[in-house]
Amino acid sequence: MLRYSLVICGRGVAKRFASSFSGESALPPNLLLPTNLVDPDRLKRPPPPADCSLPVLRKCDAVIPAHLSPVQTWVETLESRDSEPLGLAHLHPDVFAVPPRLDILHSVEIWQKNFKRISHANTKVRSEVRGGGKKPVETERKWKSPSWKHQISDMERRGPTSYYYMLPMKVRVQGLKVALSSKMTQDYLHIVDSLNIPTPDSQYLLDLIKHRHWGESVLIVDVGEEIPENILQAAASLNTVNIIPAIGLNVHSLLKHEAVVLTLETIKFLEDKLLWHDQRYTPLYPFKLPYSDFP
Amino acid sequence: MAASFTLRGALLGVSRLRCRTPGPPAGAAGLRFVCNAGPEERRAGIIESTEEYKFVERLIPPSRVPAPPRHAGVTPSGWSPPADSPPPLPYVIRRSRMHNIPVYTDLTNGSRKMTLIRKVEGDIWALEKDVKEFLKEVTGKELPTQVNEVTMTLKVKGHFDGELKQWLTSKGF
Repeated sequence: MLRYSLVICGRGVAKRFASSFSGESALPPNLLLPTNLVDPDRLKRPPPPADCSLPVLRKCDAVIPAHLSPVQTWVETLESRDSEPLGLAHLHPDVFAVPPRLDILHSVEIWQKNFKRISHANTKVRSEVRGGGKKPVETERKWKSPSWKHQISDMERRGPTSYYYMLPMKVRVQGLKVALSSKMTQDYLHIVDSLNIPTPDSQYLLDLIKHRHWGESVLIVDVGEEIPENILQAAASLNTVNIIPAIGLNVHSLLKHEAVVLTLETIKFLEDKLLWHDQRYTPLYPFKLPYSDFP
Repeated sequence: MAASFTLRGALLGVSRLRCRTPGPPAGAAGLRFVCNAGPEERRAGIIESTEEYKFVERLIPPSRVPAPPRHAGVTPSGWSPPADSPPPLPYVIRRSRMHNIPVYTDLTNGSRKMTLIRKVEGDIWALEKDVKEFLKEVTGKELPTQVNEVTMTLKVKGHFDGELKQWLTSKGF
């Protein structure tokens, strides 16, 4: 995976080195490039300037604090490979421009990996080890030191152990916000008006992603269960392009996939759910029971 | 008389129940069971209505902290609203979710007193300089402070929550 990403990252850079090799355009097999290389083709589209003529397709519903301004991004379309952006979208800074807390990101990622873990490693205690027991008939008595050969300490691996723990809800929410903000600032977040594509062809999706330099893996997030059939079919056979509903958004998937594509409805859903945690009371009773203004 | 009438009606209803194929549930059968008594004794059936649910709905509590009503100046409890526009300083201190200034005291190891300022945004070192100057005027001493740039918090040695809260309110945070 790392070597693959090295090759992809290096492709843009290796073009410049290609002229130094005699008559070869292929990458040499023993090419070693540093991992933090940025593909220059990805930086060709800068963020929208302040005096852009395109319409603002989406403004923030929630109140933005007075000292912050909304994040502006392009809204693209998946209809054709070479289409221009349709307009701009304003994103809430408390979800998409949060300070990069790497410690929270790490703790949420480790939690997600470990809380489901049940290790089934088991060893037998001395009472369960086969053999041993009392001699049926007492033979000649000799003083012998007890043999510890088959003794097993009680402290060793014992039975299925669960590594379940829960981080506080606000920490997990902050982890999501930090992950989304990181994707935003690193130009890996793309906003799309809807997920309608003209053909259910996987190659079309791959060509689009290649042409727009989105990255090698794309996570497409949509709200609700009615996802267009074409894109479901196109992504079904691809293992680097995955579609998930918005409730399934998690830090591990955001970090695993290079690019993230959100629709406008997804952004509204995420902002509602994530910003609610900044102004909610501590739960009087569990949130799965009804409240009058639950988001 | 009326009892025997309803009893005959009940027996009729039961016999009809037996020869009928299984259809509507027992409640409806019970309805017919009563209605079999005669047309002049027909009562209204069970009506389901959700109109009274509004009395339950108005008791369900909200989950969000409401915005405080508009006050001009200090309230009788001592709370004052933040300024409408943020002050022209290189840092900003946001209010907590209950609309209070985020200054808290801490006591660890039995006698270590600290004051914590949370929710700082912007240039935290400028805030540290200003806090040190302000506390120098208040106490006359140079107090040790700790800046945490990751969590954007500021710790000061000693309990100064009242003074710092008033100072920050006067600034307009």
